[in-house]
Amino acid sequence: MENRKKADYRRNFYVFIALAVLTLVEIIIAINLANPAVPLLIIALIKAGLIAQFFMHIYRLWREEEHG
Amino acid sequence: MSAIADTVHEHRTHEESYEEGTKRNRLGLWLFCFSEIFLFGALLAARFYLWGNTRPALDQTLGLITTSVLLISSFFMAWSESAISSDDRKTSMRSLLITAGLGILFLVGVVGLEWGGELRPTDGVYGAIFYIMTGIHALHVLSGVILILINWNLMRKDHYSAEEHWGIEAAAVYWHYVDVVWVFFYPALYLIGQPVHL
Repeated sequence: MENRKKADYRRNFYVFIALAVLTLVEIIIAINLANPAVPLLIIALIKAGLIAQFFMHIYRLWREEEHG
Repeated sequence: MSAIADTVHEHRTHEESYEEGTKRNRLGLWLFCFSEIFLFGALLAARFYLWGNTRPALDQTLGLITTSVLLISSFFMAWSESAISSDDRKTSMRSLLITAGLGILFLVGVVGLEWGGELRPTDGVYGAIFYIMTGIHALHVLSGVILILINWNLMRKDHYSAEEHWGIEAAAVYWHYVDVVWVFFYPALYLIGQPVHL
């Protein structure tokens, strides 16, 4: 259980860092591109995918997660 | 609240296992999230149709701060769920409170500060779209904070365990969903288009 806990915390932290970096990339793109709509929406989709997979655990809909 | 939880528990033990109930509840919650895509998708469509390649000149620093606050709150919500999965009740409860606090901070940033800026709801399509998008999202944040606090109270009364914590999972899925919505709203409101000073 302790190993799983550490793995969960580590994964959550990596996802959080990835989301923070992507947010910064969004700002850099918005500053530097004249029409940033498409790249910004693509990044938003990537961020939504990360949240759905790793924070919302969408896979639990078709796969049971082990407990303990 | 306790009476409701007891009734649900009684019903569950007679009718179905906790796992079966959770599976069904999970599908229901995701269908609810899916149905809300139409609401938020319509708001985004209205924004791109009415604003085109323009946007109101909003406070960029405030936008980034509120976005960061919501992102950090999502991290703590995930932490809370991971903690209860490992039977670490104390960490889970603490993370729930931090999440709720950050949610309130987000509301202060958007409703308290951004709404107090120069843009008014009566400023044509800019005001209308900005206030309806942030307003409906803020309502979801508020309901998420209430849901989190209800779960915190239930956990305080020993209602959850490592094996049985559907309430926490549901609050987490809802909270992250609210975050996903803001992931699309933030660039649509603050980053895409040429700023227009009203």
